[in-house]
Amino acid sequence: MNKDADVIIVGGGIIGCSVSYYLSKLGKQVLVLEREDLTRGSAGATDGVVGYHTKKPGKQLDLAVQSIAMFEHLSEELGMDIEYGLKCGGMQPVEDKMQWDILSGIVEEQKKSGVDIEMISAEEARKIEPMLSKDIYGALYSPTGGKVNPIRLTLAFSRAAKKLGARFLTETEVTGMIKEGNKILGVKTDKGEFYADAVVNACGSWAAATAKMAGIDMPIKPRKGQLIVTEPIGPFMDCTLQCARYNVIKFRPETIKDENVLRLGSSLSIEQTENGGLIIGGTRELVGYDRENSLEAIEAILKRAVRFFPALKDVCFIRAFAGLRPYTPDGLAIIGRVDCLEGFYMAAGHEGDGIALSPVTGKLLAEQIVYGKESYSLEPFSPNRFLKA
Amino acid sequence: MKKIVTDVAIIGAGSAGLSAAYQAATAGADVLVIDENSRPGGQLFKQIHKFFGSKAHQAGTRGYVIGEQLLEKVEKSGATVMLDSLVYGLLPDKSMGVISNGVNYSVKAKKIIIASGAKENYMAFPGSTLPGVMGAGAAQTMVNVNRVLPGERILMVGSGNVGLIVSYQLMQAGAEVVGIVEGAPKIGGYGVHAGKIRRAGVPIYVGHTIKRVYGREEVEGVEIAALDEKWNMIPGTEKQFDVDTVCLAVGLNPMTELVWMAGCKFDFIPSFGGHVPLHDENMETTVPGVYVAGDVTGVEEASSAMEEGNMAGVAAAEALGYISHEEAAEKKAEIRARLDTLRSGFFGAGRKANKEKQLADMQAYKDGMEKGAAC
Repeated sequence: MNKDADVIIVGGGIIGCSVSYYLSKLGKQVLVLEREDLTRGSAGATDGVVGYHTKKPGKQLDLAVQSIAMFEHLSEELGMDIEYGLKCGGMQPVEDKMQWDILSGIVEEQKKSGVDIEMISAEEARKIEPMLSKDIYGALYSPTGGKVNPIRLTLAFSRAAKKLGARFLTETEVTGMIKEGNKILGVKTDKGEFYADAVVNACGSWAAATAKMAGIDMPIKPRKGQLIVTEPIGPFMDCTLQCARYNVIKFRPETIKDENVLRLGSSLSIEQTENGGLIIGGTRELVGYDRENSLEAIEAILKRAVRFFPALKDVCFIRAFAGLRPYTPDGLAIIGRVDCLEGFYMAAGHEGDGIALSPVTGKLLAEQIVYGKESYSLEPFSPNRFLKA
Repeated sequence: MKKIVTDVAIIGAGSAGLSAAYQAATAGADVLVIDENSRPGGQLFKQIHKFFGSKAHQAGTRGYVIGEQLLEKVEKSGATVMLDSLVYGLLPDKSMGVISNGVNYSVKAKKIIIASGAKENYMAFPGSTLPGVMGAGAAQTMVNVNRVLPGERILMVGSGNVGLIVSYQLMQAGAEVVGIVEGAPKIGGYGVHAGKIRRAGVPIYVGHTIKRVYGREEVEGVEIAALDEKWNMIPGTEKQFDVDTVCLAVGLNPMTELVWMAGCKFDFIPSFGGHVPLHDENMETTVPGVYVAGDVTGVEEASSAMEEGNMAGVAAAEALGYISHEEAAEKKAEIRARLDTLRSGFFGAGRKANKEKQLADMQAYKDGMEKGAAC
């Protein structure tokens, strides 16, 4: 049995490409297998918010702090402009006292990770983002929030990996795993079998099905997010901005009473891209693998956008799309070795944090695979937390 | 979001859409026509020239008169025309998102006819983004509909029928056309139109192209150059004209966005304007219940668009049970005969071949599906 690579990565999205780069950097021969093409899944169907303030307080936020620090020099390191808007700031306008109290509570928890997040007055918020509606109660603000072009980031990782010798096979679908006892030997695909010492499951929202091929149950479910793109306009806003409801739905869904809001998970997430177009999200819907837009969601998103930025009523939207975010029950990503199957690793389940957490995920998992131990513990994200008998 | 339910929804109130509406509504169907413009008629009301063809196609009648007659027929037929209304989405469940005067509607129809027409091609050259460079169709709308002269001294690029007719109409409106530039070695449009231009003393520069447009804030002049047989500009052949407007009549391409959204399969036929939806003799696409008619199926002209609209309208009414198969077959045979006439002769032969390919590819697609299903 000839080995095709040291490590096979299943999935050519943001996580798979990042892992491929950091593994190649550590000298491993990497083979990436992608069913369609790079960025065809969630990496190509999302916005590029890279901020602290949307991360769950605790371990996920601690990891984000490390990841965001890596973004600063990533363009130079990867040799491609990833359109990283350093320190554009992140903001969450608040509509009422109840939201203010909930967000203030979350901010207190987030601050334990040593991040610069604060609650500011409506006047201060409008000084930072003058286009913001006057009708707000206040805002959460984080000067360190950043944004990135997720498609360019994914391609930058893959190109840098290729330069280091990584191979990418697109249009290649993994159909099964090759195991011997409790050790993984390789994968079966529609283009034949491939063998390696280790296999990384980086299939995002599809990771549960890939894990199942290896006989492992991973509680990852697709959660749909719908987004809208506007025509390019002049400089409109610097921050990446989410309405307070975004964090409330993410971290305190039990406080939402409106059933439609809860079902669609409709809240505003908005940023202006380098070319001037605005990307406006978003929803969080557990509706299986359906990636279609719905008129109801488009209306809900746009109403929300105009609620906070009244001037947008005169801007045309030119496109709508939806992406699937890999949801996990505890809101933490699943990264690391699977104890019961030697050589099998998980790198999925980041839900909406995949872009922001991609550099650190790739770096730490590569260290774990190569050295057996990573420089910053991935223990809270271990897949084994779901595999205790 | 307000909901509208109807038998037939037609996108576009131009030649094709109105004809389809007339046929379906006359047969008894509940018809809603949606158009983003404030007036119905599409391009018809811009056409102040007389149409060609047979008597059945109202040869000798001016385009806008045909538009008025069609509009009157549609109004009598009972179809509803919803203006200033934009169809911004067509979802897989065939519901349509429509924004109309600030109100968001969800329109659900049993049959959808997409008659969205075509848009003008653009051409890039140094200075092509200066104010004063515009589509010939836009200039035609300005003079014939809005009664505004786009400029005083105009150079036209393209000698197809659009370039020739619009040049003449610009002159009728009081502008001076300094010349028509044509890349090909001979004039593209009908001799009768070119003859009127020539008699008016306007030079037609065949085998020439635009080299650049210059001016500080807007068009102040244009430079053209002769082309060799490989379409490269020949140095030293440049000519300059003081103009304030350059019109581009360099073809059209079908506005297929909604057809793609509906998931329809496409053909690629360059002389029809590029990607065009596959459809059968009934104008039905590969997505059951979604029909196409007019320039969106491949760029032709107004008379064929009206006949394709008639065909789609009859077929939709038949599919909904409003007319018997016998009656429908009779009507469709008449429409097909008129379409064949329109697609005959020297200028029609190419379009006929295109349409035959499109229909054959549709048949091949259907056969493939059946085969696939049998496996």
